[in-house]
Formats: sequence, C-alpha cells, structure tokens
Amino acid sequence: MTAPPAAPTLEVRGLTRRFGGLVAVDDVSFAVQEGEIFGLIGPNGAGKTTLFNLVTGLTPPSAGALLHRGDDITGSPPHVVAQRGIARTFQNIRLFTNLSALGNVMIGRHIHTRSGLLPGVLGFPSSRAEEEAVRERALELLDLVGLRDRAQVRAGSFPYGDQRRLEIARALALEPRVLLLDEPAAGLNTNEKAGLSRFVRELRDRFDLTVLLIEHHVPLVMGLCDRIAVLEFGRLIAVGDPAAVRSDPAVVEAYLGEET
Amino acid sequence: MALLQAYGFLIVLMVINALLALSLYLPLMSGQLSLASPGFYAFGGYIAAILSTRVFAPADGEPYAVGLVVLEMLIAGVASGALGVLVAIPALRLSGIYLALATIAFVEILRVVSLNLPITGQAVGIFGIPQPFGSQLGYLLLAIPLFLLAVVFVARLERVRIGRAFTAIRADELAASAMGIATGPYKVLAFALGAALAGTTGALAAHFVNTWNARQGTFDASILYLAFVLIGGSRTFVGPVVGGLVLTAVPELLRGSAQVGALPAWLEGFLSGGGRLIIFGVLLAVGTVFFPQGLVTPELLARLRRGRSRPEVAVAEAQP
Repeated sequence: MTAPPAAPTLEVRGLTRRFGGLVAVDDVSFAVQEGEIFGLIGPNGAGKTTLFNLVTGLTPPSAGALLHRGDDITGSPPHVVAQRGIARTFQNIRLFTNLSALGNVMIGRHIHTRSGLLPGVLGFPSSRAEEEAVRERALELLDLVGLRDRAQVRAGSFPYGDQRRLEIARALALEPRVLLLDEPAAGLNTNEKAGLSRFVRELRDRFDLTVLLIEHHVPLVMGLCDRIAVLEFGRLIAVGDPAAVRSDPAVVEAYLGEET
Repeated sequence: MALLQAYGFLIVLMVINALLALSLYLPLMSGQLSLASPGFYAFGGYIAAILSTRVFAPADGEPYAVGLVVLEMLIAGVASGALGVLVAIPALRLSGIYLALATIAFVEILRVVSLNLPITGQAVGIFGIPQPFGSQLGYLLLAIPLFLLAVVFVARLERVRIGRAFTAIRADELAASAMGIATGPYKVLAFALGAALAGTTGALAAHFVNTWNARQGTFDASILYLAFVLIGGSRTFVGPVVGGLVLTAVPELLRGSAQVGALPAWLEGFLSGGGRLIIFGVLLAVGTVFFPQGLVTPELLARLRRGRSRPEVAVAEAQP
C-alpha cells in the first residue's frame, strides 16, 4: 500500500461567486501543490481577481469550498486567512501610501508580534526588544527588494515598479507559505519584467513558498509557471503545464489566439 | 500671577478642550469618525458629580480631598471605557458619516436620559459639586498631569504595534485585514480609549464647573471638538492638541481685546457682542480653505525636526 498523497497546499472545489445576475467565478475547481508556481490567466473580466479575493477571504463565496492543507477555510475572514500563512499583493497596489516604506513592511509583521497596549505604550523591555526585531526584519526585507536605502521615504511617492516590489516585501513580512501575486508585472518595463521571473523563483526557493500569480503578459507566464489555469467568463477552461495549455484549442480560441 | 489668576478659568478650559480633542482623535487613529466624545464627557461628569455629592460628600465646611477627585476620574474613565466598548460593538458596523450620525444619536440619547433621571437631577442637574481647590487655577494641578499623560500615551501609541494596526486600518482597512489584522477588535479598542479619556476629563470638568446638567455634552460640543481636530490637523496627535488649545483661546482673546480700550467704540461693541463669534467662524472657514490638512501635519513636524538637527537629510528625504 502506498501512502496517501499529502493534501494540496491550496484547493478550490466548485468555487462560485455571483454578483447579482453576473457569475464572476463559476464552479471553478483546481488544486495547487506545495512549492508550485501556479499561473492564472484569462481575458479581462474573466474573474481572476475575484478568484484571488475568494481565496484570501476578501469576498465570501456564493458556493463551493476552499481548502488549505486539507482544512476547510471557506468563509474565513481575511485576517484569519492571512494568519494561516496566505499573503497577497493587489492588482491596483494597496500600500499604506502615507506611511514610509519601512512602516508598511513593519505592519506586515503584525501577526508575528504580541506586544499589548500597555507594554507597548510603557515601553516594557520585552516590547522594546520586539519592536527592534520588527524593525530589523523589515529592513532585511526592504534590502531584499532593493529599497533599503529609501526605508524612510513615503510609500506613495515611490515609482510604480518600486511600489510593486514594496508590496511584495510587505506580503513577505507575514512569513507566508502561500503568496498570491495579482499582476506583478503590470506597469513594469521589459527589463523589469525579465527580472521579475528570476525574482519570483528566487523567492519561492528561499522562503519555501507556493506562488499563485495572475498575469496578462503571456510569455512571462509561460516561462515562469509550473502549471497554468485559464479562466474565461468565470469558468475554468483549461489547467495544465504551459505547453499543454498553449496548444489547448479552447485556450487558443478564447485568449491566446488574439495575441498572435 | 494676577494675570494667571484672571485667566485661570480659560487656561484650564483650554487644557480640558485639548483633552477632548484627543479623545476624538483616538478613534480617528483607526479611521473611525466618532462624535461621541461629549456623551462620554457628560457621562464621566455625572459619575463624578454623583459620587462627590452623595457618596464622598465632605462634612460642612471641610475641603474636598484631591485624592477623591483622582479616584472619581479613574472610576469615570473605566466606566466610560466600558460603556465605550458596549456602544462600539454595534456602532462600528457603520463607518464614515453614518458612524458619525450614530454617535450623535448616542450623545442625544444620553442627554435626554440625564434630563429625565432623578439621579442626574433631571433638568436642574447636580449643583454644589464640592471644590478641592481654593481657586480655579488650582485645577491645573490635575489637568496638566492628565494632559501630559494623555499626550505621552497617544504619542507612544502612534509608534508601537497597536498604534500601527490603528494606522493601517485608517489608511486601508481592506489591506490591513489582508495583513492579518483583526480590524474589528482594534476599532473597538480605539473607540473605547477615546471614551475613557473623555469620561476621565468629564469627571475633572464636573468639579471645575461646579454644576453638571444636560447642557454638558450636546451636539454643539460634538461639532466644536470635531473643529478642534480638523483645524488642528487630524493626521498627528499634535494637531488636536494645538486645535483644542488655540481654538478655545481665540474667542476669549477676541473678547479680551475689546476691553483694552485702544479700539474704536464700534469695534469694541462688535467684539464684545456677537462679533467675536462671527470672526471666530470666519477664521474657521478660512482655516479649512488654506489648511485643508489642518494647521499641524506630520510633514510640518518632520520639517521642524530636521530644521533643528540634520539639514543634509532634509534634501535626501524631500525628494519624491
């Protein structure tokens, strides 16, 4: 007898979300394995970001189930999902724009710190030590994304590409096991896009991550992802490795055909 | 010293109003626009008034112990904080202008209740609240330490974990929850802290003004405290403090300037009549136009700090 395979890191079963009469995500099922880089592609309005919102608890599903390492977390609020080690970035970048880069990343350490109200305000030694550790860890992460020298600069004043990297640093501060990147290449130039693939792989290896990413730029997705799921009008029309997806007739018709 | 005595009432009032502005700023730190401060202020005041006239009432002719006032302030603070939690749990299902309306309703409910309950003295209120000090200036002995405590508390809070969670929720509640911050409990905490500070201040104020009735803590006060915060600046605790101090002083200084005797008679009449309030109102309107972020902003504070110490950093950090 062989051992049963370990539960997938993330599994969606028949996940559905309706907004009034619109079915944004329609009965989608797939499983993401530990350590995978899993791409999510599809035309505009296919439901990719809604699917991310369902997975991170920002939007409750109308039907279906969401499992993390075999545990049912359907309907968990976003902070519970985050505490389980699922972190994300946003398509339209949601940094705390008035805070410094350092402040943004330090907030990402929230779930790994304990300081209560009075110990913090009164500056208890334990609280001071924790505060120092948070600052150091945040600076390390800023270093990783190349923003350490601008730690004190207001996040909102960063150029677009740097804001995307800062958002990744903030997500990494949660020490996630699963990282969801919503269009990380949007607005990047060709050079930055090439760097991004390398960077995502590096992150996966260094932090033992499972990565889900939404991306419009097809060559980038094809080169980077282990497997790809294709959405169209909320439905999953294909899932598989890049070569299989590329030659899938339904995919070619729905999406890739227009590109070439 | 004579000047201090003459302005004793005003100075204590300035500190009390700065405290109330801070009490409105605390929920705002987590993005909650609450106008409930006057309600908790009135509530704390009634607690002090009832305790000092019925429970701790001194024998005839005896002065009232300062320690008892401190005890009343503690009791009022804890009770107001607890009431704050009870109010916050349902109220914080709302946000923005709807939350503001709900908190105004809360202030109004407390006012009507205190108008009708025998224990709060109904329409007459509670008068003859015992005095621990010989003069009104003496109240600074309590007001200043409370003010310093509150300022240090809020200043520290802005730099530690809980305060960062507040800031994150205010900046982007959705992103904050995606960072693992349970936004609900933090919003309740911020609301309750503001309530506790307003209640503590109310207990002090009840002794200070000597009588306490349903005219304390009304809708007008809600708007006035909001003006302190908005004109002073709502993005750092320094703003509400400056707003509370300055905006309390301005109408009185206008009144005072009418009595100097150097002004033409018509202007004196204007200032000592309703005119000073008109000028005050115009200053508020002009202030919001020219200082939409308030008088004090974090950027202004940073500039002041850099101006004093490291000018070379200013250049690097000023770049966008």
